[in-house]
Amino acid sequence: MGASIWSTVLITVEEALKLVFPDANTTRQTLFLSDEQRARAEKVSGAEISSSLATRYVAHDEQGEILGWAYLDTHRVRTLPETLMIVLDPDGTVRRVEVVTFREPLEYMPREAWYEQYQGQELDDDLALKRDIRPVTGATLTARATTEAVRRILALHAIVSDGERR
Amino acid sequence: MRFAKSMRIGLILTIICTMCWIALPVSGASSDDEKLRELEQEVEDLKAAIEELRTLGLAEDRLTEIERRLEILAEEMEDLKVGEAAVKASRDQMVSGLGPAASKVYQEDHGVSLGGYGEALLEFFDDTRDDGSDSGEVDRFDLLRGVFYFGYKFSDHWVFNSEIEFEHASTSKGGSASVEFAYLDYLYRNGFNLRTGLVLIPMGWLNELHEPTVYLGAVRPRTENRIIPTTWRENGIGAYGAFGGFNYRTYIVNGLDASEFSANGLRGGRQKGAKAKAEDFAWVGRLDFTSVPGLTAGVAGYFGDSGQDLEDAGGNSIPVGTSILDLHVEYRYRGLELRGLWARAELDDVDRLNEALAYKGNQSVGEILVGGYLQAGYDVLAGRGKSALIPYVRWEQINTQQQVPDGWSANPANDEQLLTLGLAYQPIEQLIFKAEYQNIDNEAGTGVDQFNLSMGYIF
Repeated sequence: MGASIWSTVLITVEEALKLVFPDANTTRQTLFLSDEQRARAEKVSGAEISSSLATRYVAHDEQGEILGWAYLDTHRVRTLPETLMIVLDPDGTVRRVEVVTFREPLEYMPREAWYEQYQGQELDDDLALKRDIRPVTGATLTARATTEAVRRILALHAIVSDGERR
Repeated sequence: MRFAKSMRIGLILTIICTMCWIALPVSGASSDDEKLRELEQEVEDLKAAIEELRTLGLAEDRLTEIERRLEILAEEMEDLKVGEAAVKASRDQMVSGLGPAASKVYQEDHGVSLGGYGEALLEFFDDTRDDGSDSGEVDRFDLLRGVFYFGYKFSDHWVFNSEIEFEHASTSKGGSASVEFAYLDYLYRNGFNLRTGLVLIPMGWLNELHEPTVYLGAVRPRTENRIIPTTWRENGIGAYGAFGGFNYRTYIVNGLDASEFSANGLRGGRQKGAKAKAEDFAWVGRLDFTSVPGLTAGVAGYFGDSGQDLEDAGGNSIPVGTSILDLHVEYRYRGLELRGLWARAELDDVDRLNEALAYKGNQSVGEILVGGYLQAGYDVLAGRGKSALIPYVRWEQINTQQQVPDGWSANPANDEQLLTLGLAYQPIEQLIFKAEYQNIDNEAGTGVDQFNLSMGYIF
């Protein structure tokens, strides 16, 4: 998670993008999902998709080659929301997960090393708590919410990319 | 007010912390309402513009798509207005007029946070003790606790957290209503945050993490009842944070009250923040290694006097220096969870304390109390959806009179071994049902086995 500050706002989106894609050009894209895409993403990920709107940043190098994508996902942890930046490599696997805002008490926030477990993950049955992802004692709900968010974004990305190829 | 030698460093640390606190800046707050009104107006204007384009004969399907997108945007704004959790952080970047960072919305948003948890426990006791005599125990069905959590965020830096607890359902039947903790946090940065108020003593596993879904067992381990007297909370001030691979907490709190110690342990000595005697203070600190996912290992220590101006017959004060040390470790891998705890307390002036409290024979408070347990559980449904089914086993050993002063004797009934075999079921993560059998032995042969059923929830 890089050098983040433990207050509600841990890092701005801009800072997070700089951290993940230091020398890239990033372009913001708004995705407007169709009802069918939403339903499909929910089915594939097993996670709720609460909006037809999704935001992502696509990073290019100077030659225009895609370096990866950064999706923003906001969801409830216990009673309050957090916003994650979920960064995908060009091959569609997870590069890293960055916590942008965290409004629950910080005791519920796992440590940096814990988020590294998502690196290289793809959407399969092992991307689950007590499978590839180890739970955090005292932050179970955060661990659950984070895993769901990563599954949701992976599904969304696959479906949107699929739509773009057609 | 006296301070034991062992806690002077802690005291100095805490005074420095407090001075830093006073010197820290306070952040302000503002509102998004105006920006929202602007956005709403913008959407309305765009809708009108589309109608105008339609009359000019632009392709219908293209216009319909634009309208669909506008609707989505309008819905999102509605969410933002009602403050739903599912708002997209970056929406402010979609339309000009809002700040550049997604986080801004949150910086300016504060408020109340609510939650709660509770558990009910049904205990069936064996009719006979291990030695065959009548146990005399009556089976019990108790709404052990109903707890409500209230938090309030004043600003990004100042946060209040509290738990209000109702134990045993009704005060007319021996239950109690307590503030389990209530503290103010100043969130400064990753490595350093400040806390003051009624705080949870950061020792063992269950004192800070006691929600029913986060521990195996219908009944808490005895070590975390008699040596680390969960839920142990005292008034105090301190700091916490994370650095390198570690998490730490360091607090100065009012000390325990030795006049309520017994042969059974330290439980009665908790002052619970209620008009606490503040003649003696204590330092408590904890250090956990947390940087390997699945592993938590650490140490915690409590040092201070517990006399609280207690005097012997000659009018001399009895300080009752009290030190408690614990080592704790937890490891989780896939469905497996292993947990261990060892705790040892050492008390000074026990001979004079016993005299002052008019204890006789084997009623002596322990000079040394030792306890610990090893526990293993395996979720056989690991990773298959949201349910969990966890068989577990716990071996525990405790002696609250490991050592008593010369001239006093220990009651062998306080030297206990407990074997717990149980099964926990979680239909969803926030609910838990537990069933367990406890084989409880003690050196006096008077152990009474029991079977427990419990229900727990957290929201």
